[in-house]
Amino acid sequence: MKEAMHSTLENKDAARAAAIFQEDCQTIIRRTDRLLMGLMIFQWIAGIIAAIWISPRAWEGMGSSLHPHIWAALFLGGIISSLPVALAALWPGRTITRHALAVGQMLMSALLVHVSGGRIETHFHIFGSLAFLSFYRDWRVLITASIVVALDHFARGALWPESVYGVLSAPMWRAFEHAGWVVFEDVFLIISIGQSVREMRNIAERQAALESSNTRIEQTVAERTAELTSEIEERRLAEESLKSSEQRFRQLAETIQDVFWMTSPDCRKALYLSPGYEQIWGRTCASAYEQPETWFNTIVPEDRAGVVAGFEKGARGEAFEMEFRIMRPEGMVRSILSRGFPVYDEAGTLQSVVGLSTDVTGRKQMEAKLLESGKLETVGRLAGGIAHDFNTILTAIIGHAELIRQAVPESGPEFHSAEQIGKSAARAAQLTQQLLAFSRKQMLRSEILDLNMTVTEAEVMLRRLLGDSIEVRVAINAKRPWAKADAGQIQQMLVQLALNARDAMPRGGRLTLETGEITLDETYAAARSDVVAGEFVMIAISDTGGGITDEVKPHLFEPFFTTKKQGEGTGLGLAMCYGIAKQIGGHIGVYSELGRGTTFKIFLPCVSAAPSEAAAELAPIVKTAPVRGTESILLVEDDDGLRDLAGIVLQKLGYTVHSAANGIEAISIAENHAEIALLLTDVVMPQMSGKELADRLRSSQPSMKVLFTSAYTEDAIIHHGILDPGIVFLHKPYTPALLSRKTRETLDGAQAPRRT
Amino acid sequence: MNRKQISIIAALWLLMGCGGLVAMLYHEKSAGGAGNPPKEWPADSAIAPRGPTLIMFAHPHCPCTRASIGELAQIMAHSQGKLCSHVLFLQPAGQRPDWVETDLWRSAEAIPGVKVHADWNGAEARRFHAGTSGQTVLYDAGRLLFAGGITAGRGHSGDNPGRDAVMALLAAPTGTGARTPVYGCGLSDKNSSCRIRTP
Repeated sequence: MKEAMHSTLENKDAARAAAIFQEDCQTIIRRTDRLLMGLMIFQWIAGIIAAIWISPRAWEGMGSSLHPHIWAALFLGGIISSLPVALAALWPGRTITRHALAVGQMLMSALLVHVSGGRIETHFHIFGSLAFLSFYRDWRVLITASIVVALDHFARGALWPESVYGVLSAPMWRAFEHAGWVVFEDVFLIISIGQSVREMRNIAERQAALESSNTRIEQTVAERTAELTSEIEERRLAEESLKSSEQRFRQLAETIQDVFWMTSPDCRKALYLSPGYEQIWGRTCASAYEQPETWFNTIVPEDRAGVVAGFEKGARGEAFEMEFRIMRPEGMVRSILSRGFPVYDEAGTLQSVVGLSTDVTGRKQMEAKLLESGKLETVGRLAGGIAHDFNTILTAIIGHAELIRQAVPESGPEFHSAEQIGKSAARAAQLTQQLLAFSRKQMLRSEILDLNMTVTEAEVMLRRLLGDSIEVRVAINAKRPWAKADAGQIQQMLVQLALNARDAMPRGGRLTLETGEITLDETYAAARSDVVAGEFVMIAISDTGGGITDEVKPHLFEPFFTTKKQGEGTGLGLAMCYGIAKQIGGHIGVYSELGRGTTFKIFLPCVSAAPSEAAAELAPIVKTAPVRGTESILLVEDDDGLRDLAGIVLQKLGYTVHSAANGIEAISIAENHAEIALLLTDVVMPQMSGKELADRLRSSQPSMKVLFTSAYTEDAIIHHGILDPGIVFLHKPYTPALLSRKTRETLDGAQAPRRT
Repeated sequence: MNRKQISIIAALWLLMGCGGLVAMLYHEKSAGGAGNPPKEWPADSAIAPRGPTLIMFAHPHCPCTRASIGELAQIMAHSQGKLCSHVLFLQPAGQRPDWVETDLWRSAEAIPGVKVHADWNGAEARRFHAGTSGQTVLYDAGRLLFAGGITAGRGHSGDNPGRDAVMALLAAPTGTGARTPVYGCGLSDKNSSCRIRTP
């Protein structure tokens, strides 16, 4: 196969060499044709010029005419030159052309020899012409030319020897001699032609071989170039991929707020720190590279041992996690969580330790706040539960004390005792109210308030409450002071905070009430677990008292936490404010500086609409309606004492009372009585809630009205302490008078039947 | 064009070329009037003979005469001072000297032993009956030894019978009246009454 291919290549090269040789021969022949054509034209013109120069005219005495030599040069030279020149011009490269040129050139030589009278020197024209003709590298042309020369010499030598030899008579052997010299030259010229042709063939073969080699080289180069292009493309793609990867890592490292780091295997030298280091540490990366000890010195001394231990684990090739604190240049302490991982090479040698350090200061603060918040939530739930049971108990105590007070003479000691029982129970009820407020389970009558007006109205009351030693100032700055809240509770908060301020200023001072608007953004809200972002109306109560220490601040809003002497405070005032603010959807904050004073800020969600006139008019109305009646009332209460009390009170007022301990009993009673005017039911009961009972009875008692009562409730009737529209509610503990009035109001009211 | 046509054209071309050469040969071999010089040295000639005396009559503008001058130079070189030569250039009446004193004049003048003269109005030529430029006469002791041209053709240098005859006569002046054709321009107008007719 290989030999066959080699043979094919050789054949191709030989064919190509032959083609090149022929092409070169043609090129040479055509070029020589042109040269000889030029030479013949030159000789012709030169002959004419010479004739004109040498023998311009033929004379006869004084007369003269154009010399016959001129005509001879013109026409004879023209005839000799015409055919060769024409063939060279029209058919260059043809065999007939070069042979015609050879004959023409030899005739020119003959003419020259003749004109010169056979001068031997002019015979060199023959030899020169033969040499010229050898340019063709075609020995046949020389033969043609030599034959013409020989014939000329033989003919003229015989007829007119002076014309060719310059002598009067010449023997025949002179013609042979001249022809012999021509042959002599021909031999060398033919030898030279043979050599030239061989050289041309060799050159053609080399050229063909070179071309073949070049073709193979070009093919190899093209193949290699394609391979290189492919390799370059692959390399370019790899570099782009690497660059892209580096760019992604750089973007990640430079954008993220955490610190990517890399150390030497012994963890003693920082090899890389991402830009987050400068933000968290407040120091340049260069300082950590150049002086690792400066980085170590930023760690709070108590935490350094843990850091050393962590890095020792890293140097042993173990992953580690450590939490430590650092001190920024301005003195701020930051908490850092750092995780490190060993990096091994393919041989399993530890190359470096890489890791990620995260600033967890905010998270830790949030955790602390959440812990505090959770604690308050737990305490609030406990307080709320206690308050509920207390309210139920207190209702019975207050009611029965009232019944006793009504049953005994006012002058008797029983009346006084009953009155004292009632007063004590009322104070207990106030405490439970505050507990409910803290636990956000008291009932609200929310309406849109103008807090500027609320604060202005509270100013008079507070001046009276605080006394002359304390100056009260009011600064109204809120332009949109509208918030949805319970006016009584806002006043309750203001009074509570004012009383605390008074206690903080035993020698007098200044209390400033201020309203304003503020926008809390997401960043602010994110830093505080109890705050949501939005527009808020703010009420600030500032005093010029002694301020609050940092130790006290975290516990300010805890229930039963007080710095006052025993018996002077319940520890529920600020807890109540906290609960009210949260229940409304706001929050409360404190800012205090020791020796300069304290500011409490209440933030309430801002509403866009101003309070309506109608709402403002309806809110404070308290009717003094008749309390007696004769209607049929279905009383449902799971507490036996309270059920008995309520039944007694209502029966005394003339109502027909059907008592039931739960919803099942109540339904049974209702089925046996044609008409029930009012359902008075506790909300939270076992088996069936008051709401569910009311809904089921309405199908059979469409005209029945409902009065709910509860110590607190979280069911469907009250959402976050706010009554649904059309619901009438009586809060425990209630007095017999309040029960009678609320019963009458409900019966007389236009309560729409509800189905949910 | 086929091979036959090319052959015909080539043949015609050769024929025309050869014909032209023949015509040229014919022209060169066309002799002028040799005249019939007197057998004795004319007494009225202005030139005084001194021993073997050669006189060549020349037309100052005849291109063919250059070959005759060249042959004369060879004769003079061969005579080794034995020959007294004169070249008489035709000077027609009314022509200025520069018409006569051409390069031929100067060539002749440059040949040692040759005296060059202007032949006023061809008077000497008529005395010696010379009609063609290049005509040469050789006298010795007042007696005509040779008359004719010393070239083989018009303007044709080289061996020729005239030169050989002169050289032979110089070596042995025994013969008389040797004659050769003269190749050159006419010394007188064709229509001139003084024209020398070829005998």
